[in-house]
Amino acid sequence: MTTLPLGPAGVELEPHERYVPGSHWRNAKDELEAAKLGMWLFLATEVLLFGGFFCAYAFFRYLYPHDWHEASRYYLSWQIGAANTAVLLLSSFTIVLAIRGAQTNRKGMILLNLAITQLCAAFFLVVKIGWEYMPKIQKGELPGGFFTYPHPHGDYDHIFMSVYWISTATHGFHVFIGMIVIAWAMWKAAAGHYGPKHYTSLENVGLYWHLVDVIWIFLFPLLYLV
Amino acid sequence: MSGHHDVSYLAPKETPWKTIWSWVYTVDHKKIGMMYLVTTLLMFFLGGVAALAMRLELFEPTTTVVNQAGQQAVEGQFFKGWEFTEREQLVTANNVYNRAFTLHGAIMVFLFIIPAIPAALGNIFLPIMLGAKDVAFPKLNLMSWYTYVFGSLFALWSILQGGVETGWTFYTPYSSSTNWGGVTAMVLGAFILGFSSIFTGINFIATVHKLRVPGMGWFDMPLFVWAVYATAILQVLATPVLGITLLMLVFERTFRIGIFDPALGGDPVLFQHFFWFYSHPAVYIMILPGMGIISEIIAVQCRKRIFGYRAIAFSSIAIAGISFLVWAHHMFTAQTAASNAIFSALTFLVAIPTAIKVFNWIATMYKASIAINTPMLYAMSFLFNFTIGGLTGPPLATLATDIHLHDTYFVVAHFHYVMMGGTVLAFIGGLHHWWPKFTGRMYNENVGRLGAVLVFIGFNVTFFIQFFLGTQGMPRRYATYINEFTWMHQISTIGSFILATGLVIHLLNFVQSWIGGPAAPRNPWGGLSFEWETDSPPIEHNFPREPVITHGPYDFDTTLPPHCDPREFPLPDPAQSARYSH
Amino acid sequence: MTVSNTSLGTPVLASAWDRLWWGGNVEASTFAEGVDHVFFYIFWVSLAFFVLLMWLMVYWAFKYRRRPGVAPQPSPSHNTALELTWSIVPTILLAVMFFWGLIAYIPMKVAPANAEVINVTARKWAWGLVYDNGASPLETEVIADAAAPIFALPVNRPIKFIMSSQDVIHSMYMPAFRIKRDVFPNFYTSQWVEATKITHRWEEQEKKFVPVNPAESKGYYLACTEYCGDQHSQMWGRVMVLADADYALWKNQQADTSGVSLPDLGAKLYKSKGCNACHSVDGSAGTGPTWTGIWGKTHEFTDGGSALVDENYLRESILEPAKHIVRGYANQMPTFQGQLTDRELLALITYIRILSDNPQDKAAAEEFSARELEESKAAKNAPAN
Repeated sequence: MTTLPLGPAGVELEPHERYVPGSHWRNAKDELEAAKLGMWLFLATEVLLFGGFFCAYAFFRYLYPHDWHEASRYYLSWQIGAANTAVLLLSSFTIVLAIRGAQTNRKGMILLNLAITQLCAAFFLVVKIGWEYMPKIQKGELPGGFFTYPHPHGDYDHIFMSVYWISTATHGFHVFIGMIVIAWAMWKAAAGHYGPKHYTSLENVGLYWHLVDVIWIFLFPLLYLV
Repeated sequence: MSGHHDVSYLAPKETPWKTIWSWVYTVDHKKIGMMYLVTTLLMFFLGGVAALAMRLELFEPTTTVVNQAGQQAVEGQFFKGWEFTEREQLVTANNVYNRAFTLHGAIMVFLFIIPAIPAALGNIFLPIMLGAKDVAFPKLNLMSWYTYVFGSLFALWSILQGGVETGWTFYTPYSSSTNWGGVTAMVLGAFILGFSSIFTGINFIATVHKLRVPGMGWFDMPLFVWAVYATAILQVLATPVLGITLLMLVFERTFRIGIFDPALGGDPVLFQHFFWFYSHPAVYIMILPGMGIISEIIAVQCRKRIFGYRAIAFSSIAIAGISFLVWAHHMFTAQTAASNAIFSALTFLVAIPTAIKVFNWIATMYKASIAINTPMLYAMSFLFNFTIGGLTGPPLATLATDIHLHDTYFVVAHFHYVMMGGTVLAFIGGLHHWWPKFTGRMYNENVGRLGAVLVFIGFNVTFFIQFFLGTQGMPRRYATYINEFTWMHQISTIGSFILATGLVIHLLNFVQSWIGGPAAPRNPWGGLSFEWETDSPPIEHNFPREPVITHGPYDFDTTLPPHCDPREFPLPDPAQSARYSH
Repeated sequence: MTVSNTSLGTPVLASAWDRLWWGGNVEASTFAEGVDHVFFYIFWVSLAFFVLLMWLMVYWAFKYRRRPGVAPQPSPSHNTALELTWSIVPTILLAVMFFWGLIAYIPMKVAPANAEVINVTARKWAWGLVYDNGASPLETEVIADAAAPIFALPVNRPIKFIMSSQDVIHSMYMPAFRIKRDVFPNFYTSQWVEATKITHRWEEQEKKFVPVNPAESKGYYLACTEYCGDQHSQMWGRVMVLADADYALWKNQQADTSGVSLPDLGAKLYKSKGCNACHSVDGSAGTGPTWTGIWGKTHEFTDGGSALVDENYLRESILEPAKHIVRGYANQMPTFQGQLTDRELLALITYIRILSDNPQDKAAAEEFSARELEESKAAKNAPAN
């Protein structure tokens, strides 16, 4: 439809340099702001979604305060949780560096930092599944009606495990989705779609990833520490 | 860029295959809106069939009689003979009735009313009314529709599994313990439909914020846009809570997490709190867009500046806000007196902005020039029914009376007056109002009027008597009842068939218009908002060039409508108009 | 709006008006009048607004109907005084509704300390009531097509229902008393009531309770108002309101069943305990297996096992219904552990045996029952200790 705009010396421009907004947009600024607004709204829905788990947590903690307190100590290792927290915090930092790389037009910096983020996410999931979920499945520390662990500590351990499982598994699923979108962002970065003038989707991926981290920052103390 | 974009969005492509492809892969908001329109109307039909089956079942009370063989037998049940075996178990006639009302409720709420107005008419007209070429995220818009279809397939799959008999509210522990049918499929379907609703909401909020034509301020927007905007906020903020609730219910059924299961230490009332925290705002997701349509129809068909524009706009937002604070009024018989008192008081707050809207609409008709055509008949039907629906809210918000009326037919009548008599009639009115625009064809006005009158009569015959059934103590969700209620149920059943006749007449009228109706002019009603400036049907990018805002959407006393004969739509004396100009 | 206690002297019009609104459920408790007053306040306010609004709408639609070539007349589209009025006036009227409703509601929540307690157990799909002397309603009456237990309440004395459910959520609704309270499986809820109108009296000659005025009321009903499955619409109960002496008589009659033979008692319990909701005695299919001809059959279970239907099997099925599920049926039945005396359990088992296809079983059961009745009567007449 349109011919590719060329640079001053007739050099073909990188995709991010010749980016044009969608045909229904009046200008690139509106498009960027709408994309960010949309992303923030989506993050709001995510917070509300996890809000349901936090409500359930608060409700049962209020109902069975003692069991709840003890179950946390009894079944969960704060060391594993802390390691995962540290890894996620690091990944949040590296994804910010990746965006910085786009702003300063350094493709290598984007790719390197996204790769580190990817590794952190993978580490988180491996620890979560290998060191938490698998032993728990073997021991029968499963939610609700499937709770078969022979040495329960309190009367309502199975409810605690229900909240633990549904909230961490839903969070883990979000980490997995995060890995997919970060991989997509890496592919876009490698193809030269991100640069100082245009890196909207990278920024939105970053926002999503921060949300995944923030939710964990709440889940970790509530489930492992309190 | 121009050229081939100047043709109607409905124009077929070079080959039939390309035409189909241009629909299934479209990012044009009008085509997506049309696809929503067709699918939601299909669901309306399905839900309606379930409703008629229920009304037939309720035609007779079901009494035990001793038959000739000396055995007791049940007679007078429409579903007698519909029993079937599922997983080696007998599904009784009562159970078939329970499946019918669950199907009716779930389809009408999740698959019809919630998406119908925003996702169909809103999709088609919101960008045009803002002077935009499309919604903010056209691909997301298409994904919403596919998500809707995917979720609907789950809901339909649950029918193939034998149906669901939990009621559309899925109360635990009944829904988590029942082993009948496709509860999990239906709940998953509703969960997926929630995403469709969220995507649409995000899209519309971003569109209203960022795609208004330059120079259009917030208070220059048509009221339909305001209403859809308020709805979108509710969709974004309330639907995730439904999502997580239904997800937990699915976990409850598959992993037995026990959060709602009293046998495992969980609490079934927690489910009710979660459920109504979404589903009460959802009531306003259903009614607000209907109110928006009524504002448009009344202003345009009365050729009158809408009375109290800002009051109507702000009351939409106020209703949206308050709706999050009233959920527990569905549970007055379940909880403590203290929380009942609080939620009763908060519930009354919703009544005020709602009442203000009705006063404003009727005040708009004063000294107007009122066209008594199908859309306006629907607007007046809406005002009649919605006022009844609204005024029967206070007895349900009042603690003492709600204890008696809760879960009786009074509630059934009340919410049908709001949802069916309000939203659905507004939707049908809106379909007639905008039909010439989005199809490019006129419909037969007299047939439309006939249908409108039949729907109005049928609806009121069906549901008015149910208020008395309720005060007399007829509980809802009953397959059988005592003889005293028979005559009232029979009137109601007769009414439902009058109602159905009216709807079928509309359908035939629309089909006739689509096939052979006369071409519609650009501005058949003399409207002033942007949709009346473009072609009927609009071209692919809505406008040949970006429209310029020169007047407000309701400046009927100072502005001649575009593309109209001034003799047909004359202006009042400018000197007089100046006295009230803004 | 009130109707006097006797039908004599009640103005015919007022009566028709009340029947239009409340059907057979005219005010019959101490709460009812308060509730109805609020209701009619809301009704008249609503009607006034409705008539005004609809009159304006129709009148203006006619008066200002479109005439070809005639322009609308300009008029203000905003009027602060008018808009404030129509915001403030409804607010005040609504505030009155709220407070009046609250005032009429609070008494429902505060039971007097001297209220007599009746324990209510709801299950799919029957109501079980146990009085403070251990009595449970024995007699039933057909309402719609379901057997509803007939139970009594004393007139002008407070009664407190303490309620729990054995399975899902139910809701106890007695429209004539304007009360409704949800019944939950995991905690007790309660509701008190004081009935104000006698509906039945003891008729010594007929040896039964008869309606005081059959034309006015056959008694009130109890219904379930929280959807609970197949026979949600068949969870009825019949309420008789009795004078004090009759009430005491009724309670004693229900408590002492020693003079009733086992098959008769079993047949009564079959209906009053709600067995009939799922099990037929005419061979027809239902939620549970029919009892006709079940005795002596072999039941195959969903877990692959099987058992002969005899005393022990039936006893286990009633007390621990979830232990074995007969193939073709769902695990639906609640336990009756603690809700039946030993003799009542025996009565049900004997009743099922009498329904056997085998004449020998029938005869043996009848012979056993006759002997047992003698012993039962003798045991009662024997001096205590």
